[in-house]
Amino acid sequence: MLEGTLIYGFINSVILMLVALGFSVTFGISGVANFAYGALYVMTGFLSWLGLNALGLPYWIAAPAAVVITAAVAALIYWFILLRVRGLVVSEVIATFGVGLAILELFRYLGFIGFEYTLPPIIDASVMIGDTYVDAQRLCIVATGILLAAFLWFFTHYTKTGLAFRGIAQDERTALTLGINGDKVAALSVAFGAGYGALAALVILPLGTIAVNEGYNVLVNALAVCIVGGLGSTVGIIVASFLIGFAQILTATYLETSWMMLVSLVAILAILVIKPSGLFGHQKQLEERI
Amino acid sequence: MRKFTCLTAIALLLTALFLVPTGAVAADKIVIGVTTSLNFLEGKEANNAVKMAVEEINAKGGVKVGGKMLPFAVESIDIRDAAPGVPVPEALLGMEKLILEKKPHALVVGPFRSEALLAGMDMLSKHKVPLLGTIAMSPKTEAKVAKDPKYKYVFRVSLDAKYFVGYIAGVMGFLGKEFGFNKVFIMNQDVAWARATAGIMTKILKGKLKWEVVGHETFPTGASDFAPALMKAKMKGAQVIMPVFDMPQSGILVKQWKGMRIPAVMAGFISPLTGPGAWKTFDGKIGGVLNAVFELGSIPSAKYPPSKTFYDAYLAKYGKPLEAGHGPAPAYASVYLLKDAIEKANSLDPDAIVDALRATDVQSVMGRIKFTKGNQVIYGKDPNKQALGCFFQWTDDGKRLIVYPSAIAEGKIKLPAGMKSAK
Repeated sequence: MLEGTLIYGFINSVILMLVALGFSVTFGISGVANFAYGALYVMTGFLSWLGLNALGLPYWIAAPAAVVITAAVAALIYWFILLRVRGLVVSEVIATFGVGLAILELFRYLGFIGFEYTLPPIIDASVMIGDTYVDAQRLCIVATGILLAAFLWFFTHYTKTGLAFRGIAQDERTALTLGINGDKVAALSVAFGAGYGALAALVILPLGTIAVNEGYNVLVNALAVCIVGGLGSTVGIIVASFLIGFAQILTATYLETSWMMLVSLVAILAILVIKPSGLFGHQKQLEERI
Repeated sequence: MRKFTCLTAIALLLTALFLVPTGAVAADKIVIGVTTSLNFLEGKEANNAVKMAVEEINAKGGVKVGGKMLPFAVESIDIRDAAPGVPVPEALLGMEKLILEKKPHALVVGPFRSEALLAGMDMLSKHKVPLLGTIAMSPKTEAKVAKDPKYKYVFRVSLDAKYFVGYIAGVMGFLGKEFGFNKVFIMNQDVAWARATAGIMTKILKGKLKWEVVGHETFPTGASDFAPALMKAKMKGAQVIMPVFDMPQSGILVKQWKGMRIPAVMAGFISPLTGPGAWKTFDGKIGGVLNAVFELGSIPSAKYPPSKTFYDAYLAKYGKPLEAGHGPAPAYASVYLLKDAIEKANSLDPDAIVDALRATDVQSVMGRIKFTKGNQVIYGKDPNKQALGCFFQWTDDGKRLIVYPSAIAEGKIKLPAGMKSAK
């Protein structure tokens, strides 16, 4: 039992990390809390499904195309909506949340409700780890999580665009003096974050069905991880994912499954009371207020 | 004098208006309202079944009332009550909008969720609109109807949670007797009918059947990862897992059960696993699962031909087989019940229709239909005596084999591959 709990706790943690990475990247660089993130996640699922089933495309075309389209839509959202309200935090939140709602409810209106909306697993098999059976898709999720976290580190340390991301994140005005176009980088960061969310969707959604309401759940989970870990801190995201991920599985295993969702909410409340900037957050303004 | 004449004219006009009987046949059509979650499978297919019945009746001339033949007309509205969180206020607004704007003579199908139906009963009573419900399943509605005559307008043609429990208990009894199983793990969705089913079933299992309920988990609508609960079921030695779900995500439970190779029989109700399309949707990973169909007709039985006639007619009309195991057959039957009741009452007066409906005793696509005092259709084990629900088992080659009740069974329950009898 303990072995199974540890295995599934680890997998659940990686799922949370994958879901939160894209949201955190965007906020850390552009300062935009992209509340349309969950909607873009779900959109990737439906686009892939449409590519596979309505257009009859092979998976290796439908899936990457869905990621590219999602990232492009996110960039367009920045360029045509967020650019005008950038810096006005409340307006940014309202705008992104509104766009997210519109996307999700459009899918609902168009009738994208049903159990037929599923994505195929990358590997369709079960693997025995110790005495516990684990479906191979969950192992793919773990591999993807490790790869994406590693790539993010590499990208932001060894590529020109990644260094520009970090420059903007550290001090936008100074970055401007070095010729880095703040708006362009911010648009890229929103697209990059959405792309990360889209990749997460491709590996996580085969575990369940593609449902409109998943968009809201993903947003809540991403927010919980980012708030606990500290907005914009990648290390914080990883640590918070594992704290919440294991807490959720332990709650489900030893208490009630229906209490799993409460774990995220309790974690948000607790961290806001104890350390509002999050475990690894560096928002001094918040620190100074308490 | 002029003032007196004017007042007299108004008084006469008002008197004339009040003297017109409400059930008088002044209409040129009989409006049937469909107020449900049209985007959900059960709601969508039930609405299709209503339209099919209406077309059939209209093709034969319509409904004879007051010496005239009137056609049926269908007005549908999506009240979205099946959404997570069960938005009851929105559902009630939708229902009232249709009642006020389209002036239906009766509603069929009705709210998807019992929460919305229970909350809407006062509205139906206020507007005196008979409802023949075919999806919401909580037995609380019948209790209200039986207790207070003002709720007499609410009927249920579909299965309710109490009768459903009767069918599950029958299957559990068979599993116990045939394979020596006595440990069950219950998993249900957190909605009224599923909670009621799980609650009643727990009492029966522990009491009459002498089973041990080794665990009971409730999942919010929308949950899609069941791995922790399945691990728990395995750890506690469950021999049977009893799922009670109607949300689209619940089909994944069975895929996870297969993937994790949980050594327990899956026997209950998972909405997405009911139709023939489930085999392809879930990549053939549902062999061995025992699933309920709430009303005969949503699955055809050669042993009860009317069910097959309906099933085949739906396939011919819409080009797709019925996928929902709950809703379409009673929705189709409801239109015919309404036709019979209006013709018997020879009026569109709601009270007269209700009285005629209460006296119903007919054979339908889902068996014989008679109502209880709580306006609930009586379900049993023989379609010639009562309405019928059933259990089927997915075979390893993707067929649905009816296994319970014996009156229409096509084969015996078999254990899924890799499972052994406890005897």
